[in-house]
Amino acid sequence: MKNNRLFKAIMIGGVLAGAMAFTSVQAAAADLKIGVLVADVSGEEAQGFRAYYENYIADNYDVEFVYTDALEDAAGEKAAIEKFVSQGCQAIISLSSSDRATQLDTCEEYGVYYAIASGVLDDELFEAYKGYEYFAGQVGPSNATEFEAGVKMGEFFKEQGVTSVAMYGAFIPNPMHVFRAAGVIAGLGDTYGGTNDMGGMIGQIFADQKVDPAKVEGDVELCAYLQGYGDTTTDEINAVVAKEPEAFLSVGMATTFFTQILNEAGIPFADIDSFTEANGAAIKEGQLVYLAGKYSSSIGPVFALIKNAVDGNVIRDEEGNAPSFSQGYLVATDGASFDEYYVADNGDTPIYDKETLDTIIGEDVTYDDVKALVEAN
Amino acid sequence: MEAGSEKTKQLLITLLPVLALAVLFILFCTFVKAKGYRLDIYLKTIFNQGVVLAVVATGAIFIYTLGSFDISLGAATLFAATVGVLTYNATENFPLMILAIFGTAVACSLFSSILASAFHIPAFVTTVAMLSVLSAVSAQIITTKGGALGGIGIPKTLVKPLDNPPFKITLLAIFFLVCFFVFQLTKIGRRQKFIGGNPVCARLTGIPYNKYAIIAFTMAGIGVGLGAFLTLVYTPSVTTTTASGIGMNIFVAIVFGGMPISGGARSRIHAALIGGFSYILLNNILELALEGSSAYGITQIVSAVFFLAVVCVTSMNYRTDLLPR
Repeated sequence: MKNNRLFKAIMIGGVLAGAMAFTSVQAAAADLKIGVLVADVSGEEAQGFRAYYENYIADNYDVEFVYTDALEDAAGEKAAIEKFVSQGCQAIISLSSSDRATQLDTCEEYGVYYAIASGVLDDELFEAYKGYEYFAGQVGPSNATEFEAGVKMGEFFKEQGVTSVAMYGAFIPNPMHVFRAAGVIAGLGDTYGGTNDMGGMIGQIFADQKVDPAKVEGDVELCAYLQGYGDTTTDEINAVVAKEPEAFLSVGMATTFFTQILNEAGIPFADIDSFTEANGAAIKEGQLVYLAGKYSSSIGPVFALIKNAVDGNVIRDEEGNAPSFSQGYLVATDGASFDEYYVADNGDTPIYDKETLDTIIGEDVTYDDVKALVEAN
Repeated sequence: MEAGSEKTKQLLITLLPVLALAVLFILFCTFVKAKGYRLDIYLKTIFNQGVVLAVVATGAIFIYTLGSFDISLGAATLFAATVGVLTYNATENFPLMILAIFGTAVACSLFSSILASAFHIPAFVTTVAMLSVLSAVSAQIITTKGGALGGIGIPKTLVKPLDNPPFKITLLAIFFLVCFFVFQLTKIGRRQKFIGGNPVCARLTGIPYNKYAIIAFTMAGIGVGLGAFLTLVYTPSVTTTTASGIGMNIFVAIVFGGMPISGGARSRIHAALIGGFSYILLNNILELALEGSSAYGITQIVSAVFFLAVVCVTSMNYRTDLLPR
């Protein structure tokens, strides 16, 4: 009797699943199908990027974007690329960086174009892969740009005259966050382990796997430090608040995690994130006083590189290699400067709108055309 | 008549996981075909995803049979792969790298076991501690050596010739047959089931728990070593998140394979193999079914509900007339 019920349940489940298979067939295929590798699915920046591709680019070009769930490791990235290839994607855009070398090798093996839209390869890796046939290029802040973004944040608060700050290292040892954190320390005029040289600081932070407040020396005291996000984060941030720092400097994700608690504590804070509605509210009504960010449509040129490549115009630099364009961060320090970028890059009127992107999409577009546009924005 | 009915029931229960795997496989192929995707690439990917879980979980069956468990197997896989990469980069000797991977994996596993035996600490506690220690040490090595690259690796040309299904199937088959032999055809498996089913009775019968625990952890270590090696064959680099999901996935694989987590007489060596691939197939079916949905995490939620359903259904069959533990 019990077994009969079990088998009936299995039969019904099988029929239902079969029906799902046939009803979930895609309605109409777009001319271009792009797979997007995603590691961070919840951050303001990630959501802004996705909205731009799905709500603007997909509406204005005959393109379909397929997204992964949050990728955790290199094997997940490789499997995702293989599935995208199986699904008929002609290109991959990467917002995930567990192992970019394997991503490039996999795309080369399957003959699908590949571009990097978040972070860039370090110099050594780029040298090794820039000649790959299916590497369409990379557009994003270089490691030096990340360091510089941190420096500017530190300098901003030093000029404000702060003498004691707390820092959030986000997901150190993520290289992007390491470079930013080193930059913040340098910008405050402090040293880390006795040096303010980028290379020297970076090496030590990688070795420490965190910023050790005891190694920070200079006029501005680092009175508290935390990183990551987990079970103890609430206690850690409360401990930071209890130390009453004059400012809370974050190298990423603070607006996602800590806006409410910092607003309630009345501690001015800074972050490197993106120009989104939530961050607008934080800077206009809350304690966010410094935001270095990318705007959501900053990933427009990467789409242009991919579309050109799939259409037969693979953009190459003067030496015939994949292009690498560095994008800087925009900085807002109040509601007005925030709106300057946010309103200009919103919904139906992004900074990289169709009219702008069309100037770098086409069979006659060159490396210089793309470079000029990226550097102008 | 009643005996025949009971026999049929037991046969059905035994075959149920295999049937479920077959149903999932047919469903998966149906989904892929219905969507017009390339089945050959998809199957290769599924196999690559499943094979690491299957070998690590097959080794872990020996531990679970004892009624114990090891949550640190994912971290041990990461650590073994990390040591393997370091060894190759220091010596450029491929056989030595393989030796280092297996040596590290077995050593980690044995260390957990010896800690538990010598200090009479529950395996649960020692393996949780090992999970933290191995993850932290691996992360320290990877981030220190990898720097801005975020990971460490070996040359892809070294393992590329091995990254093909026939090689991996051969490794999987050899390991499975060895485990099958030890588990089914020697007294080791029988005694481990006895210990898992009723440890007090086993001890009173004179079966030394420590000896069989060490054997179990050694087999699990070999599985971890093989898993670490296959991980490097698929992606010749190691990051701090490599193999991070394996520890928990082993639980799910074993349950999907029709084996009780409590171990004992109903333990099955094939449970991990069948359950591992069933789990990977289920996840991919859900991905395909929910494709286009912008909500993240739906797959995991549906998968968790399915897992609970399987536990409920299978637990009905664990009610037996055997002596209480």
